[in-house]
Amino acid sequence: MTAFRTHLLLILGGLSGLAVTLFITNTMFDGSIEKMSATPTWQNVVLVNVLIGACIFLFVVELRRGAIRVLLTVVVALILGFLVTFVFNLDSSLRFTRGEFRVQVVSEAEALDVDGVDLEYNRVRGGHFNKPNVVEPVSEVAWSFAGGEGDVVSLLAYAKNKRSSVDPLVELRDESGAVLASATSATVAQVEERFDDLVRVTDAVIADFQLPADGTYTLYARPEELATGTIMTEAFQQTNVAFEALLLGPIQRVNRWGAWIQDAITLILIGLSFAIVFRAEQFSLGAEGQLYFGALVSGAIALNSPNVPSILIIPIILLASGTAGFIYGLIPGALKAYLGANELVSTLMLNVIATGFFDMVLYFQLRPIDSAYVATGKFPANTVLPVIVERTQVTIAVFLVAIVVFFCWLLIRRTPLGYEIRIIGSNLKFADYGGVNSRRTIMLSMALSGVVAGFAGMHLANGIYRELILDLSLALAFEGVVVALLARLNVLVVPFAGLLYSYLRVGAQFMERDANASFELVRMIQAIIILLITAEALVTIFQGRQKRADIDEKGHAVEALEAGDV
Amino acid sequence: MPIIETQAIHKIYPNGVHANDDINFEVEHGEIHALVGENGAGKTTLMKLIFGMEHPTSGRILFRGEEVEIENPQDAIEHGIGMVHQNFMLVNSFSVAQNIILNRETMQGISIDMQQAIDDTAALSQEYGLAVNPTAKIEDIPVGMRQRVEILKALYRGAEILILDEPTAVLTPSETQDLFAAVRNLVEGGKTVIFITHKLKEVIAISDRVTVMRDARVIGTVKTAETDERELARMMVGREVFMQVDRPPVERGGSVLEVSDLTYADDSGHQLLKHISFHVYENEILGIAGVEGNGQTELAEVLTGLRPPTTGEAFINEEQILGRGPRSVREHQVAHIPEDRLTNGVALASTIDDNLIIDRYYREPFTRRGLLDINAIEDNGRELIREFNIIAPSGAIPVNALSGGNMQKVVVARELSSSPKLLIAAQPTRGVDIGAIEFIHQELVDQRTNGLAILLISADLQEVMKLSDRIMVMYEGEIVGVFPNDDSLTEERIGYYMLGAERQDAAEMERYA
Ligand SMILES: Nc1ncnc2c1ncn2[C@@H]1O[C@H](COP(=O)(O)OP(=O)(O)OP(=O)(O)O)[C@@H](O)[C@H]1O
Ligand SMILES: [Mg+2]
Repeated sequence: MTAFRTHLLLILGGLSGLAVTLFITNTMFDGSIEKMSATPTWQNVVLVNVLIGACIFLFVVELRRGAIRVLLTVVVALILGFLVTFVFNLDSSLRFTRGEFRVQVVSEAEALDVDGVDLEYNRVRGGHFNKPNVVEPVSEVAWSFAGGEGDVVSLLAYAKNKRSSVDPLVELRDESGAVLASATSATVAQVEERFDDLVRVTDAVIADFQLPADGTYTLYARPEELATGTIMTEAFQQTNVAFEALLLGPIQRVNRWGAWIQDAITLILIGLSFAIVFRAEQFSLGAEGQLYFGALVSGAIALNSPNVPSILIIPIILLASGTAGFIYGLIPGALKAYLGANELVSTLMLNVIATGFFDMVLYFQLRPIDSAYVATGKFPANTVLPVIVERTQVTIAVFLVAIVVFFCWLLIRRTPLGYEIRIIGSNLKFADYGGVNSRRTIMLSMALSGVVAGFAGMHLANGIYRELILDLSLALAFEGVVVALLARLNVLVVPFAGLLYSYLRVGAQFMERDANASFELVRMIQAIIILLITAEALVTIFQGRQKRADIDEKGHAVEALEAGDV
Repeated sequence: MPIIETQAIHKIYPNGVHANDDINFEVEHGEIHALVGENGAGKTTLMKLIFGMEHPTSGRILFRGEEVEIENPQDAIEHGIGMVHQNFMLVNSFSVAQNIILNRETMQGISIDMQQAIDDTAALSQEYGLAVNPTAKIEDIPVGMRQRVEILKALYRGAEILILDEPTAVLTPSETQDLFAAVRNLVEGGKTVIFITHKLKEVIAISDRVTVMRDARVIGTVKTAETDERELARMMVGREVFMQVDRPPVERGGSVLEVSDLTYADDSGHQLLKHISFHVYENEILGIAGVEGNGQTELAEVLTGLRPPTTGEAFINEEQILGRGPRSVREHQVAHIPEDRLTNGVALASTIDDNLIIDRYYREPFTRRGLLDINAIEDNGRELIREFNIIAPSGAIPVNALSGGNMQKVVVARELSSSPKLLIAAQPTRGVDIGAIEFIHQELVDQRTNGLAILLISADLQEVMKLSDRIMVMYEGEIVGVFPNDDSLTEERIGYYMLGAERQDAAEMERYA
């Protein structure tokens, strides 16, 4: 690549990073400097945002043209998600024809005394239109009332309360069934001044109708049919609201932003762990178990050191969690290297053991005897990772991640062991032929990836929950696989991938909360995103690894290059 | 009317390599058309365009006079074009028959009718005189048979035009003869064959016409009857090529490698090496002749630590080297050119630079104070790419963007640059062009003149006879004869030994061991 293109790339990466930093900071503080400086520890917020910008920079510079593909995938996933949401909202537009309603015949006249009518003057009756899950849903009502010649009546049909969105129409029919009058809406004046019971203009009112003769009349009401256009607009607006929550939710307020960052930290650490083993073509899924051991060890130390100064105890905890992960990675590594045990199976088994062991120790050893639920109780303050942004759980783990990324990069790209890992990942037989001790490399790649997963466990325990609880990881570990794949196993791109992925995860929560999108829908959108991302990433990775040069897809060599297969 | 014609074809790979530059190429119906050119000249690329594996950047492909768009190999197959690749593409864990019928299975309910597949394969094999064992697994059969499987696979799909990309690179001379017979047979049956090779002898022997490519262009198409090897070589390389190597006589030095009573049995107990003992001396090339599959591969792999010996010893300068793994062997300054570069000679997805340091990455100057020195690694790559004339834009591209011959040069460059005392070279010139063969041969001989001991294993008897100072013949895992390579030694004589028709007695062998 020419120097010119290299410079262009650096500039492009720098600008994108800067733009993102500014955008996030701006959105968080609504673009107001006062608001920003009024926020405590705002400097650290900016610092973290600068680090996010740095992740963008690395993403662009490392993946080059591949970066566009990643972004396109995400955009396509979002568009698909948007469409799905839209369709769901369309369906739920039916709820405009659904809900509780009331009807009334308002009149000051004396009512005729006739037996067997349904409505008396000024008496409220009601029901539920199109109630879901009932055998015979009510879709229209025709209720009779008796009226005398010259009676001035007003017929009302309205939603029971503001939240129900039913939009009724009302008709007045005579005995023969002929429609004497009908209405689909009310005027503002009628709503606000005349009829207290009306809630809004979509309610229907036939005002001041003079009955032509004595007899029984019928009040007929049903939900108004909606124009397709209205449904579409309605659904579209709903979808927009939902997507705004998804896309901007995580950076709207400092505490939400904090939720994003803390989730991203865990995901980045786990993603790094997977990137290392996958680089060596070891399909170890042991991060989950390593994470539990890391958490368990750091929790145990934390609970037993209430009086040691932070500056001392936190490095110890870090070291211990890393060591725990290392050992728990070494086991499947050794099994694979020396006994040929399939790492996929062995790590999954070890995960089960680790969670079981964690639960057991938590239940029988660490839980206070009188505790009502299974948790250790909060750790002493000195053992909790110091928070750097107030009102959030964004801790010094941010810097830990930056350092770990650097060391992972150093390991993979700048150490002999990293070279060995890359080579056994590329062609194991070639490594053997060249004299690489591939058993040792396999073992170490799994153990070192365990170290990083152990850190993730520590971050969950001492940074986020500040106690040990059951189901600490919530299967987060496997989402790390997606992050690693999204980053094309490039450790410098993992931070970006982790941030992006957790942004979507956290955003989905806000979508559920703010926009009333159903949980299932949110999960579906997430699944679409995961599916597309993994499919795309897998395609690229397999292309990059294809063993037969001569059957390569067009241009894949460049792709492999761009994927950072260096 | 030509059956296939390309007009003004250009192919520029996404990385900017202009691999085909204005190619006008015609193949007549029913001919054997040879395509020759140096490594990286663009032969494979042109064939991939015709076979739909790559798409031309511009230009037209005509098939029986009509312009066609060949989107993918499926299209090509429908047009009756079949291709056997330079690097095979068979499913190793499937049987021969399964590979041949792949995707064209006759179903029997929901399962594949295997008996049908086996019968079809046998019939096809019979019809075209290409012997294969339908039930054997691909990973268990020799390369020659794998190739026949590839050809049958193409024929099974109704190929009328068969593209063979360097089919003979992996064949023994007798297998080559069989292949030629089969090819002639095909042409008599009305098929058309495009044949890529680096061996000009074969071009002369089999083709009707030859097209020569150089630097992504077509230099010319000539009738085989009206040309000769010299002229073709000149067209290919653009200069006079001397296919003779200059092997100055030198006094051989002390023993570098001493192998004593080596035996090797594989997991299933087959004795593949039987009581092998020999020496390789300084300033000497010891060539091993033999029909492929008589233990040469195993010998090389045992000596380089890739397989553990069953019994026996080997010494380099008095030190036992066996049973301690490849690293230890390499530490004793042994270099190894493996016979199949794709299996273990290169890591395709890794960069050229990374491929060039597999034996030395952990030493100074590549690793300093525990960290890799990227500059040293890049310098090493740049240096070797230049010195060995590897055609590549830079050392940072993955090896799988190289042409077959250039991959081989990567292997040779790495091994020869490791300043070895002993070089075990298995098929060192497989798949490289004549210019590069000349270069590699000269390099081997020069290094031998400067003191290197070389154990040369080659399926190409002529290569062995051209380079070796001494020749050892292997037959069924045994050494059956050792000869000084002087004028009295003929190919014919060695041939008898290779086929097991003759063997020396112990005393005779002792004389030259
Ligand atoms: N997938 C690819 N991506 C980029 N460049 C490629 C790719 N395949 C081949 N090339 C380049 O195109 C050129 C022509 O390669 P090609 O494989 O056609 O050569 P060839 O004539 O078949 O050589 P050989 O005799 O060594 O097999 C080479 O410089 C090679 O590096
Ligand atoms: Mg080729």
